[in-house]
Amino acid sequence: MTRAGHYMRAGRATMAIATLLTALVLWYSLTTLTGIISPARFASPGEVWAAWLQISTQGYADAKLWRHILQSCMLVLFGFLTAIAVGVPLGLAMGWSKRAEAFVNPVFLLLRPIPPLAWIPLAIVWLGLGDAAKIMVIFVAAFVPSVINTYAGVRSMEPHLLEASAMLGAKRFTFIREVLVPGALPHIFTGLRLSLQASWTTLVAAELVGALYGLGQVLSAAAQDIFPAMILVGMIFVGVCGGAMTWLLGQVEKRAMPWRAA
Amino acid sequence: MGNALSAKQFWLLSAAGFASLFVVWSVAAVSGAAPAQFLPTPWTVIQRLVELTQKPFAGYTLQEHLWSSVLRYLLGFGLAAAIGVPLGLMMGWFRSLDHIVSPLFEGIRFIAPIAWVPFAALWFGTGIGGPTLIIFMGAFPPALINAYRGAKFVEPRLIEAAQTLGASAWRVIVEVLLPASVPSIVAGLRISAGLGWQSLIGAELIVASSGIGYLIVKGQSSISTSTVMAGMIAIGTVGIIIDVLLRRAEATINRRRGR
Amino acid sequence: MSEIAFDNVSRVFARDGKDFLTLDRIDLTIREKEFVAIVGPSGCGKTTCLRMVAGLEFPSTGTVKVGGSVVTAPGPERAVVFQQFGLFPWKSVWDNIDFGLKCKGLPVAERGEHIRRFIELMSLQGYESAFPHQLSGGMQQRVAIARAYALDPAVLLMDEPFGALDAQTRTVMQEELVRVARKNPRTVLFITHAVEEAVYLADRVVVMTRRPGRICEIIDVGTVRRGESWDRLERIEEVMDQASFVHMRTHIWRLLREQQPDEH
Repeated sequence: MTRAGHYMRAGRATMAIATLLTALVLWYSLTTLTGIISPARFASPGEVWAAWLQISTQGYADAKLWRHILQSCMLVLFGFLTAIAVGVPLGLAMGWSKRAEAFVNPVFLLLRPIPPLAWIPLAIVWLGLGDAAKIMVIFVAAFVPSVINTYAGVRSMEPHLLEASAMLGAKRFTFIREVLVPGALPHIFTGLRLSLQASWTTLVAAELVGALYGLGQVLSAAAQDIFPAMILVGMIFVGVCGGAMTWLLGQVEKRAMPWRAA
Repeated sequence: MGNALSAKQFWLLSAAGFASLFVVWSVAAVSGAAPAQFLPTPWTVIQRLVELTQKPFAGYTLQEHLWSSVLRYLLGFGLAAAIGVPLGLMMGWFRSLDHIVSPLFEGIRFIAPIAWVPFAALWFGTGIGGPTLIIFMGAFPPALINAYRGAKFVEPRLIEAAQTLGASAWRVIVEVLLPASVPSIVAGLRISAGLGWQSLIGAELIVASSGIGYLIVKGQSSISTSTVMAGMIAIGTVGIIIDVLLRRAEATINRRRGR
Repeated sequence: MSEIAFDNVSRVFARDGKDFLTLDRIDLTIREKEFVAIVGPSGCGKTTCLRMVAGLEFPSTGTVKVGGSVVTAPGPERAVVFQQFGLFPWKSVWDNIDFGLKCKGLPVAERGEHIRRFIELMSLQGYESAFPHQLSGGMQQRVAIARAYALDPAVLLMDEPFGALDAQTRTVMQEELVRVARKNPRTVLFITHAVEEAVYLADRVVVMTRRPGRICEIIDVGTVRRGESWDRLERIEEVMDQASFVHMRTHIWRLLREQQPDEH
């Protein structure tokens, strides 16, 4: 990056920090200092800090923080990975074979408009309030974007690349492995990102409806206990975990596609 | 791509796919592999759907629940659009505003809208405020981001052309920047509408005493699977209608601009 | 084995319920190891002709044969160089050239030999691990040509290969191609709308009419080239200065000019 670029980056970072600090100060003044915002409705920075300490060391809603985080993350990973393991190949097949597309599409069109969260009650009826129901809903949520985007990735491949591949004599498996998948990979990763987002949202919602452990469960308990500080702790960690997973996916994406212009 | 299909083959295969779904469903339901409570036949679900429009369940008929939901949805979506679009445009045009708002926005973005439910419950109870807040949190980001992108990435040549023609700053904004951002804004609103509808359902599962999400949750607690499925169909249908309407609007706007 | 034969080939395009005739009864034979260029106005179907030999499109009537057999599918014995290069962005230069050889089933050691030879031939040394996006247009097209030659094809099909390059790079590539083609002669079908390029490179130049494309005239450049010994001249601009060159070029220009709709 050029010198000017560095300065600009530094300038923006300073502004960002300044804004966040200002927001923090505002938050503190409105709550602790002046009490304009009542403690029943929102928490002060101090209270949030205390709540965080509490849940990390003593626990809240039957477990310590790490246990809740572990629960939520595990469920998301499980549902997400299963969904893409089925969704991406299906998307590839639908993108490549008009027959597959014709056959599967109607089912898709029927199921797609139903928001993933709307599956939660059905999952609970079928599988109860345990982990299985949550994984099912996460699967449904993560499945659709991965299929659609993989499909789009195949369809948007430059025709010349496909013609070149045929001209070079690539047979079916070589073609899929060395041409189709790498060619569709950018779109596939977009789908993965959307799937991960959907997984996370769905999990939190499912846990809010009913769960033993998990960040959503923390939120739910804190709401019932009228404990705004704990709600905030829960929300912050929902954001942190979601952000961390997204970042991780971004790293995988970078390594999976070393040929992309930076 | 792959082998080409004739139109006839395409429709045949589509019909086959469609039919297989219903066949598998019906067979599974009728064979008794699962208790009738858990897996009603497609026909039962349709019957229940019709029934719900006549007999109230969980306090209201299906239409009344839907109307409740739609009202909250329009309120939340309307607010998200009314705040998000102008704010996004201004962030795109005025760098300083961008620098101030972006960090805050980035910080909050990762928190799934549904995580606001506890606060929604705390602040608004089960009235209209709660679900509206969630819808807003869901619909706001796409509206903002797309307006922002539309404004920020206006082709510089258009602005230069306007300026060399002697346009004042105000004119540039109103007659160049705004029209140029419209496609992005409209696309953003379409995404926003979809996400808003999804967030609504989530919210109504937890903090509502009426609405279509409330209906299916009540159906679940009474283990009336046919109610749950009927509700899901209703939700999906409304979702499609919203999407189709917005796509039509988008297409009309794009056509007027000669795309 | 590598003779190309167009026998009464016509191509009809259906669109919006109407039929458009794009190629009209093309009869053309390209002899073994002959370098033939096709020039013509846009839309005359010259690219379609190439794609039919490649097996990417098929005639509506008539047959296209290579080496006596009808073309049914694309394959490495009829290597194609595309205008947009057609390199796999996710593969390095080395892997791009390697891909066709891998598909042929050659053992690894042999492939390495082969690839090195063509990297040298197209002056790509040092760029083996580069990705296409890191290369200029000219370099990318060199890779595409290396990839095609590495297949040791009987027929080389080049579809306006220098069309996407800037004028200077284009000239350099034309000189390169002449050098490489004289060293490794094979049957070549070269599509272009640049008349000078055609006259400079080819043994024969086929001039096509406006749509529906027919063969207007076939000019024998090779005889003149050999008679005037253009190959002794090093630079392309020297060749283009020759009276014989100018004469043929002008003749073809006139033919193409007659194709244009009347200017009012």
